[in-house]
Amino acid sequence: METGSWITIGVIVVAIIWVVSMYNNLVNLRNQVKNAWRQIDVQLKRRHDLIPNLVEVTKDYMEYEQETLQQVIKARSNAMGAGSQEEAIAAEGMLSGVLGKFFALMENYPDLKANENVSRLMEELSGTENKIAFSRQFYNDSVMSLNNGIETFPSNLIANMFTFKPATYFEVPEIEKATPSVNLR
Amino acid sequence: MSSQITCPECSALNSTHSKTCRLCGALLQKDKPAKRRILKKLLRRTDFMAAARANQRATQKLVAILFIIAAILGYLIGWSVQLSFNVIPVDASDPVLFFSSWGLLGSSALLFISFIWTWIAFKRGDRIVMKMTGAHIAKYDQEPLLFNVVEEMSLAAGIPKPIIYIIETDAMNAFATGMSPHRASLGVTRGLLNNLTRDELQGVIGHEMGHIVNWDIRYATAVSVMVGLIVLVSDGILRGSIYGRHRPGRISGGSRNNNGAAIVIIIMLVFALLAPLIARFVQMAVSRQREFLADASSVRLTRHPQGLISALEKLGAETVRFEEANRATQHLFIVNPFRNFSEKASSLMATHPPLNKRIQRLRNLGDKKFD
Repeated sequence: METGSWITIGVIVVAIIWVVSMYNNLVNLRNQVKNAWRQIDVQLKRRHDLIPNLVEVTKDYMEYEQETLQQVIKARSNAMGAGSQEEAIAAEGMLSGVLGKFFALMENYPDLKANENVSRLMEELSGTENKIAFSRQFYNDSVMSLNNGIETFPSNLIANMFTFKPATYFEVPEIEKATPSVNLR
Repeated sequence: MSSQITCPECSALNSTHSKTCRLCGALLQKDKPAKRRILKKLLRRTDFMAAARANQRATQKLVAILFIIAAILGYLIGWSVQLSFNVIPVDASDPVLFFSSWGLLGSSALLFISFIWTWIAFKRGDRIVMKMTGAHIAKYDQEPLLFNVVEEMSLAAGIPKPIIYIIETDAMNAFATGMSPHRASLGVTRGLLNNLTRDELQGVIGHEMGHIVNWDIRYATAVSVMVGLIVLVSDGILRGSIYGRHRPGRISGGSRNNNGAAIVIIIMLVFALLAPLIARFVQMAVSRQREFLADASSVRLTRHPQGLISALEKLGAETVRFEEANRATQHLFIVNPFRNFSEKASSLMATHPPLNKRIQRLRNLGDKKFD
């Protein structure tokens, strides 16, 4: 064979290797996002399991806060019933916000904090909140890597060819970011 | 922001664009401001992703230097053997002095040996470290805080929770080991648990988690194998040359060829003297780079540089000696257990960068707001 055809074959082989490695990289990133979401899911399930217990032990003490308790229960069932990932992100954000409000309210009940059951549950729930925060951080980092891969040149060509979809960030809703106001009366 | 340079000879002012003085023609020193500019550029890299990328590049360059040293060593051996023993007759027109087929053979053989050796080193596992330091496995019931912190950090890093070890000593230190992020171990001392706040502990655990996700243990193993090989081969050359000098009868060929061989052998001997030294310096530089990288990774995981900064300050102020550590495991710890307690350890042979430099870089990261 002539040199020209060898060069052509070489270029084609290199191009194929390049496309394959870029495709595999995108698949890896997508799987990482999926896995990160599963990690959050584990922590969210844990939170769903802990909330009924907390409501159960606190409802006798906090009879004037029935409205907040109802909000927590409603937000929990909304979060559990969420169908798509986008819905779940929104509902879990709501739940985080309501829970934050609930924790702030509990500060007003010293008897409640003295209860051993309650303090153990509180510790466990706040530990879970921490883990949710860190797994959310990893999830968002993974989403960023995937979306970068999908949007930057040249891997965006491969992403378009095989219809890779950008993933949704798990954003913190405004209520959770707001500092809870403490009433010092 | 001065737009003019003072001439070192006659102290006349010159424009920054001119290379020589307009009065006396002396060369103008320009490297100083350039150096400062590079330093400024490095310091401006406040975001941790960029810091991590810059660090990865620095390590890759250092590892490449090791490979080049090994390749040159192999080439010199092959070259001098080909010339002195005249295995393949060298004709005068052949530029064998500059291109030696045996030299290429020698360098590829040395690189091949280093790959095989590294592979064997990876296979041998890493449990020995735990035994050497006298660590025992921690239980959740006794250390819920440590377990929670480690679990949070492994969630943030996206790896399975490593096995947690505790070393019963009052010295404050922590270490990580394991050949892959999926089979890693992490150890802390009792003194660390007793003296640090939750945020500080999180910073330290984040640093160790950084070592795990950056595959630093593999890096260290591969680098030490390369250095070991370079030292061994150089040693062999030096010993062999003493032995070979008593048997000049083996060398054959014309006088031109013998002269060439002598020159090449001298080059080889000089290189064999220098190579182990350079290799050791590079090894320590790699170790220091990885410490900086682990600090940056810690901040990536915790998003809270202040925790690690105050932890490092506490570790730096510590006065308890760490008896259980030894020279073979020193590079694994967050601060060097053998550092000089009176003065800052900032020599070329240090496995860790000086603490004040690490804190300075973290402060630099801390200037940026994280959400």
